[in-house]
Parts: sequence; structure tokens; C-alpha cells
Amino acid sequence: MDAVMKSLLKWAFLIALALFFLLPMLAMARFAFQSVPVVLLTPETLFTGWSIDPIVESFTNPQALSAARTSIMLAALTILLNLVLLIPLAVVTEIKAPRLRPYLTAVTLLPWVVPPIALVVGVAATFRTGAPWFLASVYSLVPFYALWAMPFTYRALDAGLRAISARTLFEAARSMGASMPVIVFRVLLPNMTASIVAASALTAAMVLGEFAFASLLLKETLPTFLVNYQRSDARNGLALALVILLVTAVGIAAVVRVLRRRGLNVQTTGI
Amino acid sequence: MARMSRETRTGLYVAVPFALFIGLFLLYPTGAIIYSAFTPGDQLSLDGILRSLSGTYRQGFINSTVLAVTTALIGGVIGMLLAVVMRSLERPRWLHSSLDSWSAVASQLGGVPLAFAFIAAIGTQGLLTKVFAQVGININDLGVSPTGFWGLVIVYLYFQIPLMFLVSLPAINGLRRTWREAAAIMGASGARYWVRVGIPILTPAALGGMLLLFVNSFAAYATAYVLNPGGALVPLQIRFLLQGNVISGEEDLGYAIVTWVIGILMASLFLLTWLQRRTLRWTQS
Repeated sequence: MDAVMKSLLKWAFLIALALFFLLPMLAMARFAFQSVPVVLLTPETLFTGWSIDPIVESFTNPQALSAARTSIMLAALTILLNLVLLIPLAVVTEIKAPRLRPYLTAVTLLPWVVPPIALVVGVAATFRTGAPWFLASVYSLVPFYALWAMPFTYRALDAGLRAISARTLFEAARSMGASMPVIVFRVLLPNMTASIVAASALTAAMVLGEFAFASLLLKETLPTFLVNYQRSDARNGLALALVILLVTAVGIAAVVRVLRRRGLNVQTTGI
Repeated sequence: MARMSRETRTGLYVAVPFALFIGLFLLYPTGAIIYSAFTPGDQLSLDGILRSLSGTYRQGFINSTVLAVTTALIGGVIGMLLAVVMRSLERPRWLHSSLDSWSAVASQLGGVPLAFAFIAAIGTQGLLTKVFAQVGININDLGVSPTGFWGLVIVYLYFQIPLMFLVSLPAINGLRRTWREAAAIMGASGARYWVRVGIPILTPAALGGMLLLFVNSFAAYATAYVLNPGGALVPLQIRFLLQGNVISGEEDLGYAIVTWVIGILMASLFLLTWLQRRTLRWTQS
């Protein structure tokens, strides 16, 4: 009897949590795809007025498309910048100076100490007077997004290098006469695809959802566009929000799968 | 000039760009703010730093702290409980892997779409508001609306609970079954095992996780902005000052607030890494 009670309690707890996580999403989907106001919602009208037009409309909205293009470009450039900066650093640290690893881990955690809302104030104060041309372009967001994605990217690369025991591979390749570029591009990188893919997908998900920086520096990316769009056209805005959520969710879930399959012990939380 | 060894040169090639990058885009802007915060009107003084803790700004810090502590405590307890419950359930294997993936997704979901979802659910025209109204409960009057305090708590819990679940998993999985068996052999009941063994071992991990939730919630901007742009929370007040809605000369006040935020987060993260080191003692080996 006691065991039955316990198991009942456990399942009640899990089901309550499941409802908490599901209901807001379902409510949003209903608003997006059903044109019946909540006041008029009765069992009779429950199945009327459904349509997927909001998705079609938001996908053909030229402003939405240009905002999406901007966000995708930002994501791609952020990933590129982070990989170019961090891969050499992680490789050299692992091979030549593993004792520096704890310091690097600490340094790459710095962006957590200065959250976007704080950093953006400093950026506005220093760059707006010193280099106003820099903030004029939407791509000025790239370095700050790269900073924001750095904790996770570095940890993923570091875990990848350790999982393939990079130092042994390096010494083996070197003793057979391989040059440094050959070692990096033909030995190490092909073995690190899992961590590179995981870091890239998570970075992309973060960039697609970043709001503080873009909004405060008055740039139109997908999230900032979404806020204005939802004000002028509520249902289309919600439909677009759902699509973004879904894309983000699929991306992160893929990261988790890749990491687990390769047995890499990296937290998507970056800590 | 002394000749550098090959290795030092390689080291410099990779370290210098990285250091320049961090210096230019992170340390320089941050340092400039902190410097300005302590030198309002180009004179060394603590005026700005102290003034940013008075009046409406003091209220902002109080509100943000209360919100962050509340969501960290509730989210921490529920997230940890979820991890404990999941460990005791072995049966549906798919539940474990899908919950892991889902938590990774949901812990990153703060932001605009999440705010929209809760407006659709518990806003004045929300679906759940309507459902509860059917049975005679006005949840908005009870303080559960997306603009109210408890509404904000509920929205933040959406990413806080999964985050806590993820960060407490290693510690929960570190609890050996043998410890429990040993306690049982010596006659300890389930409750006694938790009070004397389980909870003391999990405490550092739980505190560390909750600190992470605190940091996460204290600095959260997007969700709060979409739900209630005029709210008296620190991130929203920073925006207000930054967008020049104040008399000139008040920039220093903004810098002072940001300095406080950085100080609070830095202290929390220091404490967090210290707690993590204590946690590792049990989860490793």
C-alpha cells in the first residue's frame, strides 16, 4: 500500500510538471491557429476557425524574411568567429600547456559575470563615442554574441580534445613527420566533429533567441522583429514565435543526442 | 632581441588574438563602466555608487533580488526533486532520455517566445485564465498574471526548473545505492537516510545549483521586458537609463547600477565554483 502511494505521488508530480511545461505552448498554438476569441470559446466553437494561414503569412512577410536572414547570418558569423578563436587556443593548450586549462576555463566563464544587459551599457558608452561607425552595422553584434556563446563552446571543444586524447594523436602524427597544419586539419579536427557540431548548433540556438543586445542597440533581428510583429499582428507573431521555438528545440535536442552518443561530458548549461 | 622558441611563438599566435578579443569587447567596456561608476563628474567619489541604491533604484534591486531568490528556491527544490524522482524510476527508459533533451531545450528558452506563450496562457485573455474563470477562480486577481510578481515567478520557473534538474543530475547520480543499503542494514528508515546521509551530501550541489538559478534570473532581460517593460526590475531600469530617458548627467547612475550587478554576479559565481569543488568530491571517483 505504501509503495503504491509513493508511486502514485511520483507520477502525480511528473504529470503536474508535464502540464506546466505543455499548457503554455498549447495555449500559444491555439491563439496562433484558431481565430476564435477566448470569450467566445465554448465546446461548440472549439473546433471552428482553425487554420495555418498565420504561419504562411509570417513566412511571406518580407520584413520577417529579412530579419530571419540577419539572424542566420549573425549565427553563422558568430560560430565562425568562435571556432577561429577557440580551436587553436584549445588545441595548443591541450597539447603544449595542459596546466593552463583551469585558467582558460575560468576566463571563458567571464561572459557570465557580465551579462548582456550590463555589457551593452559598456559597449554603448565606449564604442558610441570612440568608434560610432562600428555600432552602425548589425554585424557589430557578432563579437558580443561570440562572447556569450564562449563558455559552452570552449567546454565542448575541450571535452572533444580530451575524449580523443589529442596529445597522443599529436605525438604520433608528429613522430611520423606531419606538420602542424596537417595535424590540426587532417588528424585533430576530423575527430572533433561531434563537439564542433554541438557547439555550433547551441550557438545558433542562442543567437536566434538573443534579445537584450539587439533590442538595446536597436538592431532588427528575429527576436526584436518578433516583438513588434506581435504587437501589430498578434496571431502571425505567435505563429512565428512557435516556429522559432520549434527550430531552437530541435537544434538543442540534436546537440544533446550528439553529445550523448559520443559520450562527451559537456553540459549545455555551459557550467 | 632574444630568440623565441618555436613553442612560445605558436603560443603567442593563438593567445594574442584571443586576449585582444576578450580585452577589446569584454574587459575594456566593462572596465570603462566600473571606472566611470567610481568617478562621477570626473572625480573620485562613491556618490553614484551609493545613489544607485536609493529611491526607485533601491526598489529595483529589492524586487530583482526577491524575484531571483524566490525562483531560485522554488525552481531549485522542484528541479532537484524531479532529479530524485527520475532516479528512482527505472521503468520507462524513453522518459529519461526525452526529459534530458527537453530540459536542455527548456533551460535555454528564456526570451520572447516564452513570454508570448505565458501571455496566451495566463494573460487577461489567456486560455487558462478562461478555464479557471469557468470554475469561478479569477487567477489574475490572485496575482497570477504575466505582469504581476507571481506571474513572473511562474514564467521564470519554466526555464529555472529544467536548469536545476540538469545541474543537479550529476550529484543525484553520485548517491551510491550501497550507501542506502548500508543505512538500511543498520536500521535506518528511508526518511532517516535522507536526513542523515542524502541531504547533507546533496547540500553543496543544491546550493550551487540555486546560485546558478539566482544569477540566471537576476540578469534575465528579454522575458521581463516583453511581459512588463515598465517593471521595477534592475535589468529594465538599466534599459531605461541607457536609452537616454533621463536628464543628461545621469549616465553615471546607470554605470553605478551596472557595477552593482557585475559585483553581485561575480560574488555569486565565485561562491558557485567553490561549492562545485566541494560537490566534485562526492560525484567523482
